[in-house]
Amino acid sequence: MWQRKRLVTGMAAALALLAVPLAKAETGPETVELDSLAKLYKPVSFNHSAHVEIAGGDCATCHHHTLGTGKIEPTCARCHAHSGAASAVACRDCHPAERFGAKYLQELAQDVNRYHRDKPGLKAAYHLRCLGCHRESGGPTGCQDCHAMTQAGEAFYRAGQYAPVPHAEGTEH
Amino acid sequence: MKRFVGQGVAIPVDSLIKPNGGGSWSIKEKLLLGLTPEQYMKTLVRNPFNWLLAAIYVVGVPVVVLRFVKGLGYVTHASYDYPWGLFLAWGLFTMVPLSASGFMMGTTVELFGRKDFKPIERLGLLNGLLGYFFAVMFLQVDLGQPWRLIYPMFVSLGPAAVLFLVAWHVATYLSVQVAELVPAASEWLGMKQPKKVIKSVSLGLTIAGIILSTLHQGALGALFTYAPGKVHPLWYSPEFQWIHFLTSAVFGGLCMLIVVSTLAKWFMRWRMDDTFKNSLDPLTLGLAKGASLAMFTYLIIKILAVAHGNKWGYLFTGWGEYYLFELTVGVVVPLILFTSAIRNQRPGLARVAAFMGVFGIALNRINTALIAFNWKLYKEVPAWREVLIVLTVYATYIVVYRAILARLPILYTWKGQAGKYPG
Amino acid sequence: MNKLNRRKFLKGGLLGGAAALTMSRKAAASESFEGYPDSMGVLVDLTRCIGCRTCEAACNHEQNLPAPDKPFNDYSVFDERGPEGQKRRTTEKAYTVVNRYDTEKGPVFRKFQCNHCQEPTCLTACFVNAYTKTPEGAVIYNPKVCVGCRTCMVACPFYVPAYSYSSATNPVVKKCIMCYDTRLKFGRPPACVEACPQEVMTFGKRKDLIKLGHERIRNNPGKYIDHLYGETEVGGTSWMYLSGVDFNQVGFDTTLGNQPILANVKEFLAMVPMVLTIWPALFTGFHLLATRKEAAKEEQNKNEKGVKP
Repeated sequence: MWQRKRLVTGMAAALALLAVPLAKAETGPETVELDSLAKLYKPVSFNHSAHVEIAGGDCATCHHHTLGTGKIEPTCARCHAHSGAASAVACRDCHPAERFGAKYLQELAQDVNRYHRDKPGLKAAYHLRCLGCHRESGGPTGCQDCHAMTQAGEAFYRAGQYAPVPHAEGTEH
Repeated sequence: MKRFVGQGVAIPVDSLIKPNGGGSWSIKEKLLLGLTPEQYMKTLVRNPFNWLLAAIYVVGVPVVVLRFVKGLGYVTHASYDYPWGLFLAWGLFTMVPLSASGFMMGTTVELFGRKDFKPIERLGLLNGLLGYFFAVMFLQVDLGQPWRLIYPMFVSLGPAAVLFLVAWHVATYLSVQVAELVPAASEWLGMKQPKKVIKSVSLGLTIAGIILSTLHQGALGALFTYAPGKVHPLWYSPEFQWIHFLTSAVFGGLCMLIVVSTLAKWFMRWRMDDTFKNSLDPLTLGLAKGASLAMFTYLIIKILAVAHGNKWGYLFTGWGEYYLFELTVGVVVPLILFTSAIRNQRPGLARVAAFMGVFGIALNRINTALIAFNWKLYKEVPAWREVLIVLTVYATYIVVYRAILARLPILYTWKGQAGKYPG
Repeated sequence: MNKLNRRKFLKGGLLGGAAALTMSRKAAASESFEGYPDSMGVLVDLTRCIGCRTCEAACNHEQNLPAPDKPFNDYSVFDERGPEGQKRRTTEKAYTVVNRYDTEKGPVFRKFQCNHCQEPTCLTACFVNAYTKTPEGAVIYNPKVCVGCRTCMVACPFYVPAYSYSSATNPVVKKCIMCYDTRLKFGRPPACVEACPQEVMTFGKRKDLIKLGHERIRNNPGKYIDHLYGETEVGGTSWMYLSGVDFNQVGFDTTLGNQPILANVKEFLAMVPMVLTIWPALFTGFHLLATRKEAAKEEQNKNEKGVKP
């Protein structure tokens, strides 16, 4: 029951995201509200244009080959050197929100010829991409540098108001 | 006690009827060794060893109680890395081989027909029974949920596990040993039937004892084959572990029997009859002969295990030195002493060797279970409460041992009513 | 099926008599158990872990574990050392912990939890059968029959099971069960896997994960050590690991070998039915021989006595 509820809200959030307009065709939107997975942390207000600048306009830094531009990873180049722009560019268009959900696992199991079997889920796609670069290039790497913890997050991490009382002995069952 | 014997009191009790035609002893009189309660109390108070025991109980019993009230975490370091501490290293892994005397003496006398060992057979059997019983007591202190002790027997069976075998065999063997001592108890109680029944099945009991002992003594060693990476290679051998434990139990049991009889000779001479006193020295040498043979076999198999596993390199490390120390003090030196004692007919020397042999067994088992265990990790020193509990339970073992020796016909032959009690 | 057969005959071997003797040969030469064909597993990629401890928090909630001593976003725990200088390990309050190792490639984080062996030693060592390897791949534990002998803790080559020593009335083994009751049984991944922001852990069929792991090694030259830890160690584990540095630098025991631990115990187990069947006959024979000699000796003694003054 709980799981279904979460799935529904997740989908609603994803639909909302679809409504984000593409402001400029060349460099993409000004900001992107990454909120489809927000639960323990508040949505990320991602400054897209600033990151375009940091990447020196090379979309492939983040978007693989999907925009048909720039130098791409050699492994991808084997197939995608000349594939041109893809119709889907947003992370969530390819990376499944429920990477290990029954549906996606079944999809993988049935489609035995699929090449992209080791594709991270959406949450990991964000984190691996963003944090990977931030760690290499000295960007902010703390969790709350990008998204503030929610009340639910504090309860989850036993942080803030939910922090354990120091030296509270005998708290175990 | 010596004093009362000197005063001509009609003790010690060694038959059903009082000397001087005073009728038969009551159970209470037998329990008090034929003394009046006042006299009995006096003997207790006068013995300094009792004061030591009392001191151990005063501090130890509360800690034993607290172990059950507050849990194992209160008395031990509650280590996840060393799940087995001193309770098992000493209480189970050392006590059990030192109690192998039961099946050794049964085998010698009943099976091989060496009637010359008869005088010391019952001491061997009792040493076995008490050792096993208290090993189970130590186990009960150590088990997280001791009230579930019978689970492996009746509730949830895991028959493919080595410990399953240990549990079943120790339980069965305990009952075998109780049965083997029924004659002694029935003489003392003045009952005929039980002794007869046991006599008729004694050969079966003895053979059952050999099988069960071979398997569970070996199984205690095999338990460590579950932890190949944790026990130091010198103390570990998948092929020989169980043989090491079995052969060392053979001399462990015999050495312990010499030690116990020596202690009895020093402190309970009043309780021995002439047969026992006179045969003790030659029997000590006889036991020494058996022990030295077992030690020699053990030593060979120990070397074989090092060679078989090609572990020579380890001998030149600090662990190797310690391993050689264990073997030298616990096996090689007592073996030499035993040999010399046998050759020169010196039972005193054999007794020294026996003490060393017992020490050697304890050292080997504690090394395997605690010191060479987790050799790549940190070392753990047992908590003081843990040590205290071991002392307390062991003190109880001594108290019970002494109480039975003082009463049942172990160190002496029961004088039956003429014609009614042959043998 | 293989598994069942073998366990059955080991039972026979320990309990039984003559029949077990003929079967014990199979024990020594037993075929290796390849595991349940569709069992699930988890592939852990250490190069992805950032040490955020979200998995620890997820585990704590999923398994209803007691409150931790420090918040799960407190990273000072990585510098915590036990009294003997040891790093953190799984405890009765934490079925999984992440440790930090300082290597030549910088800090590497490594998550500990039960590896869910294909042939679990805890299971084979348990004399009340408290452990079960489920077809889904989890090694689960039944606290209702546990006596508390802690042999499983001695037997676990990964030092995983913990024990609730603090309880006087109901101490039990505490370890990761791969969220069997609440998730795995229903086809869902363990809580830690789902919670991980970096997808350090990939959940899937074990056989697929092995392929996937080797693919990652091949597709990223120089990134990984060419070894999938857990593919073969102690007969294989459901949880497997990829690492960018030598495994022994990040808390893995690389000396365990590829045999299930049970292989070590078989030497003894194979001997059991022999003793059970051969000993009675052998020693009855000894007895007959010995007492015959004895009888002869007694007669001789009598004669000697007669001769000597």
